[in-house]
Amino acid sequence: MAKPETAPRPLPAIRTSWLRKEKTQKRLFVLLAVGPCLFGYLLFTLYPNILSVYYAFLNWDGLTEPQFVGLDNFLRLFQDPFVWRALSHNLLLMLTIPALTVGISLFLAYVLINKGYREAPFYKVLFFFPNVLATVVIALLWAFVYDGSYGMLNGLLKLVGIDNGEFYWLGDSRTALWALLPPAIWGGVGFYVIIFMNAMKAIPPSLYESAILDGASHMTRFVRITVPLIQPIVRVGMLFLVLGSLKGFEMMLILTNGGPSGATDVIGLYMFNLAFGAEMHNYGYASAIGMLLFVILVGAKLLVDRLSPNEQIEY
Amino acid sequence: MGTKRTTVDVFWRLLLLLWAITIVFPILWILYESLKTNKEFFADIWALPQSLHWENYTKAWTSYKLGSAFLNTLYYVGASLLLGTFLVTLNAYALTRLQFRGRKLIWSVIMLSLFLPGINALIPQYVLMRELHLTNSLTGLIILDSFGESVFFLLLLGGFLQSLPKELEESAFMDGASLFQVFWRIIVPLSTPGIVTVAIFKFLNLYNNFLQPFIYLSDPKKHTIGVNMYHANQKMQYSTDWVTLFAGVTIAMIPSILIYIVFQKRIAEGATLGTVKG
Repeated sequence: MAKPETAPRPLPAIRTSWLRKEKTQKRLFVLLAVGPCLFGYLLFTLYPNILSVYYAFLNWDGLTEPQFVGLDNFLRLFQDPFVWRALSHNLLLMLTIPALTVGISLFLAYVLINKGYREAPFYKVLFFFPNVLATVVIALLWAFVYDGSYGMLNGLLKLVGIDNGEFYWLGDSRTALWALLPPAIWGGVGFYVIIFMNAMKAIPPSLYESAILDGASHMTRFVRITVPLIQPIVRVGMLFLVLGSLKGFEMMLILTNGGPSGATDVIGLYMFNLAFGAEMHNYGYASAIGMLLFVILVGAKLLVDRLSPNEQIEY
Repeated sequence: MGTKRTTVDVFWRLLLLLWAITIVFPILWILYESLKTNKEFFADIWALPQSLHWENYTKAWTSYKLGSAFLNTLYYVGASLLLGTFLVTLNAYALTRLQFRGRKLIWSVIMLSLFLPGINALIPQYVLMRELHLTNSLTGLIILDSFGESVFFLLLLGGFLQSLPKELEESAFMDGASLFQVFWRIIVPLSTPGIVTVAIFKFLNLYNNFLQPFIYLSDPKKHTIGVNMYHANQKMQYSTDWVTLFAGVTIAMIPSILIYIVFQKRIAEGATLGTVKG
């Protein structure tokens, strides 16, 4: 009788010690697994983001003692014509790049998916290729396109009989900003072709079949069926592109650095040059512009969400 | 599909071809111009090279100091890739498959990053890095780029990890394996496809990263390929050595082309997940 009672007794003791060991082991593991990334994120991302608010109230060249100047930077910002000029350039980019990129991508994706051309799989791979290239490479490539004396564009124009006398597309304030649109679109379309194609694949063919029976053209099918059905993903794409054209400045930094005479200066580049540029540095004022940009970006995000039709469409 | 081909199809196909040409042609053009002499190039920008001048490549390699830039890039990209991929895998495993106190809070703090545009933090981040003595150092850049959270990578790996059956870990624990062993022997091998996708995208991000090396590395000896090519282009305003610049751009393009050729399928798959990348 005594034997079966005593036998199980050691077991709970083992189990608790095993459990305790497992628990400390788990704690240690979680600490080591989550800790480094979280610490890095708090230190290198969140902390600077919070600090950027404080910096906006300083007058600081980054080297000497910072001075607290209250709202001065913000008052200066609203009177700074360069800020408004840069923002107007951002506005132009924001109104053109997203619409053109999404439009071209939707069209290419639709043709690639629905036409069943033999060459479609090859194009899908090729179209994405510019997306893996470095911005520096894309920028230099387009510098070669736009060069006045030896550029591809002028060379092509000459072939068709137009001689514009070594016109420098990036060197003229009338064309420089517009010349920045093609690199941005060229470099971005492939990504959206892929995600739109993926979304279009999920549309059941039966939806098209009845439309085909009704004699709907490809154009009608595209506008009435395809686009409304993948509308959520189109909206996400639009949002990315709008935010990108508001905050992006690498292409301008490499190609023109804002020139000629400010014709391609955008708000991100203006801020960058105030902080890291060749001339005098002003971290405080640059941070105030950063705050303005932050507000604009969050605003744009909310606006895009609000403006585009939000209802889920199902057939 | 037995759709009939009409004249409209000719038009569509021409448009597709046109877009393809805008991609292929400039790249081919740079390739063959990089094998001409400057004299040939100035004479006619369309003509093919009469003989192949590979010496443009050796000249680009030496005059743009691509040798040291290549080693710097290798160190920066390689170390960040290994360390970053290891850390994010460990992190994703703990955050998606383990239950612990504070997990929800950590997730919401990480999700906060989707609302941060990042651009306003450039200056304080630079000041912070300077105070930590991590500026003008490739190792500093590696630290900056390896320790951090990325919602895109966490979700990409999280999707993989969640598809693994729970029994795998449980039976391993029964056999007395520790969490470290389970992670290293079971989780990592089984989620290799996801880890590889993360590594590919990390490689592309790191190799294509221009702004951070440009801001943080002031010593020309520490420059990466991208930064060196930027400076090479800036110098073009004073010299007119076009063919060497073409060769340099081609060299800078080669790693991207190779990675794309090898991993094209995975990159396309990863890109469709990319819509969460705020």
